[in-house]
Amino acid sequence: MSNKSKQVPTVAYSESAIRNNLSITEYCRTSMAALSGCTAGLLGLTSLHGALFYIMAVTTLWLMILYKAGFATWNKYFISRKSLLTSGIFGQLFTYILCWTFSYGMVHVY
Amino acid sequence: MAAFHKLVLSLGFLSMFHAAYSAAQHRSYLRLNELDFTGLPSDIFLQALLSLLIIMYGVLNVAGNFKEIKASADLDSKSWETFRNIPSFYTFSHRGKSFAA
Repeated sequence: MSNKSKQVPTVAYSESAIRNNLSITEYCRTSMAALSGCTAGLLGLTSLHGALFYIMAVTTLWLMILYKAGFATWNKYFISRKSLLTSGIFGQLFTYILCWTFSYGMVHVY
Repeated sequence: MAAFHKLVLSLGFLSMFHAAYSAAQHRSYLRLNELDFTGLPSDIFLQALLSLLIIMYGVLNVAGNFKEIKASADLDSKSWETFRNIPSFYTFSHRGKSFAA
């Protein structure tokens, strides 16, 4: 028993701090989806270019979050770097498409 | 510092709106001259991308600061005396009263 606990050092995480960090990233991600959608519509992107632009925007936001947390010290603030990139990527896609089509219509069609 | 980031955010939005307006103008110019749309001029393109980056930077800073997720992070600065101090266990009715009398 004591042997086991020596091999795997357990780390206690603060629930409220995790939730605070995730709600901040969620806020940024929602804004990013809306704004990059507006930009994609403004640029007049169509079909796959828009999807590529979305992937680019998600990656850029991920890098910016990592930059804010510090590239060497990100694990002080987040448990997983990969789930930071991938979580909610499809949920935000619909926000992106909504803003994309709206601003494309406003700028290029009318 | 928060005011600065809000200013950055507003500037980004203004720049984005300006780019959108320029794009709409370009579109109407093409329509009047009966030209085909092949793509936006590069200055509008760059302005839109740059203002997106600026807005993202602003949003990230306006959203707030990250907290350390280790449970002991905010306990490190406190001493043992602070923890041991439990007001519910204070006793006032003890022998000190008769010493003072």
